[in-house]
Amino acid sequence: MQALLSYDQSPPITAPFRFFLTAPVFGVLAGLLLVWSGPNAFLSRWTPEALALTHLITAGFMLQVMLGALIQVLPVVAGANMARPLLVASLVHAAITLGGLVLPMAFLTFQPGMFIFATVCFISGGLLFVGASAWAMRGIPATGPTINGLKIAVSGLAVTIAIGVAMSLGLAGWFNLPLLQLADIHLVWGFVVWSLGLLAAVAYVVVPMFQITPSYPDWFGKQFVPAALALACLWTVLGSIGFETSAFAVGLALAVAAAAFASLTLMLQKRSKRSRFDTNQHCWRVAMVSILAAISLWMASAVIPAVAEWPGWPLLCGVLLMFGGFVSVITGMLYKIVPFLAWLHLQNRGQGVLLAPNMKKIIDEQAMKRQMISHFAAGTLLVLAVFLPESARPAGVAVAVSQAWLLRNLWSAVRVFREHCRKIEMKRAKP
Amino acid sequence: MDTIRELLGNHHRECDEFFAAIEQAIGAGDWASASARFAQFEKAMQQHFDVEESILFPAFEARTGMTMGPTAVMRSEHAQIRELMSAAAESIAAHDAEEYDGYAETMHIMTQQHNMKEENVLYPMCDQHLSAEASALIGRMRDGISG
Repeated sequence: MQALLSYDQSPPITAPFRFFLTAPVFGVLAGLLLVWSGPNAFLSRWTPEALALTHLITAGFMLQVMLGALIQVLPVVAGANMARPLLVASLVHAAITLGGLVLPMAFLTFQPGMFIFATVCFISGGLLFVGASAWAMRGIPATGPTINGLKIAVSGLAVTIAIGVAMSLGLAGWFNLPLLQLADIHLVWGFVVWSLGLLAAVAYVVVPMFQITPSYPDWFGKQFVPAALALACLWTVLGSIGFETSAFAVGLALAVAAAAFASLTLMLQKRSKRSRFDTNQHCWRVAMVSILAAISLWMASAVIPAVAEWPGWPLLCGVLLMFGGFVSVITGMLYKIVPFLAWLHLQNRGQGVLLAPNMKKIIDEQAMKRQMISHFAAGTLLVLAVFLPESARPAGVAVAVSQAWLLRNLWSAVRVFREHCRKIEMKRAKP
Repeated sequence: MDTIRELLGNHHRECDEFFAAIEQAIGAGDWASASARFAQFEKAMQQHFDVEESILFPAFEARTGMTMGPTAVMRSEHAQIRELMSAAAESIAAHDAEEYDGYAETMHIMTQQHNMKEENVLYPMCDQHLSAEASALIGRMRDGISG
């Protein structure tokens, strides 16, 4: 109820934008790292280069956008207003940006001090964000699958960070931990409960909304994220106490659930009433197909010995899931959120003085489309690099170029925003 | 029994369908049909805003005493959507597909995030606070948005 009194409190535009504009910088760094490391990054998922790359994308690119979007979306979707959003955003952003830069360096150098520094950054940024959002969401009843999904996803983030922190301290030599086993747990909580949970909670709203499709079935919306959470908990416990076969069966069920989400989303998109596909829709579609491919590959590795023996499968799985899946869908979402927020803030600032430029004048449609194609090309080269490690460097160049292009497109929104603000001020000064 | 959330939430979906039909007509290059469909969309949207602003919001404000709360924000968002709708109408009149696309996209997202606030927060509050007079209100609103 109190939250509603400040109903219109959209956080200042710089709160989410700092995250959105930092994300592609991590993408560019990932590309450059790949150019520098060359085929080494594709030797195994455990090479320092592969670990550094993975974290530039997950703890860098993905985390930035996901947290920035949550700060923006909580008041709109759940009526949950964060106290002092700009302060929270500045501190969280500073912490995860520093942590996101130092963690890959820690993997590359194996300096204990760097692991400890990254740990401090992620603990402080994570605690502050989880605390501020839990505080904002307190007392807000989980009236729908989205609010419930967001709550579960944020708790998944907390677990992911906690395990990551423990591993990081283990790598710094603080204690002895079964790192390989923990890595799988960290990965399942990070990709399934946090990332896929958040994606599903957001998808329930934005897929029908942006693409004018039927809604996700009620039962699916209610069950999917809670079921993923329950299965992830069960899998973690069974695996930890040595019940390998049961843990395997639960893991399989989790994979089936994730595949059901991706398939259902594709089916809904097929029924979109929009007359033509825009960048957002293309990105969603490619992301869902990539996620399905990653899940199929994981399942194949679990049941077909020949696949399990192929050392490339975890790398291909990672490329499909992270780059083809999450980076694609996030790109598509950025291309809706950034121009819309710029428009909304300009509209509010210029009320009665100057009409805000429409979204397509804030980021050009063709520029978005071309960047998207460059991103898909980079993804294809990454897949190729799994089979032909010598193509790792060209893939790195492609990733760096497509991410720099993304940054440029997002930056063009900032430029239009600033120019328009100047125009509003001039009009106000000399009516 | 119907709830306010169901009645107005379903009407949001109906407006979405009208909106999609305009795009399809423009995609097919049929401007006469696009204008007709736009008129249908605009009428449904205006009726929706009217029943909220003249029936639902005053009832909510009278019951809760909140005149500067959520309903004030919803009214100002209605004004923004109306502004975008008239810009979109001008581009339809000018047969300018690109310009229409820009305004339509902006209006679409503006409307959707507005609907989300109403459906997730305001309508459930209305259902809760106005339960005594709900059936009379729903009846009047249904008349306002049908036809």
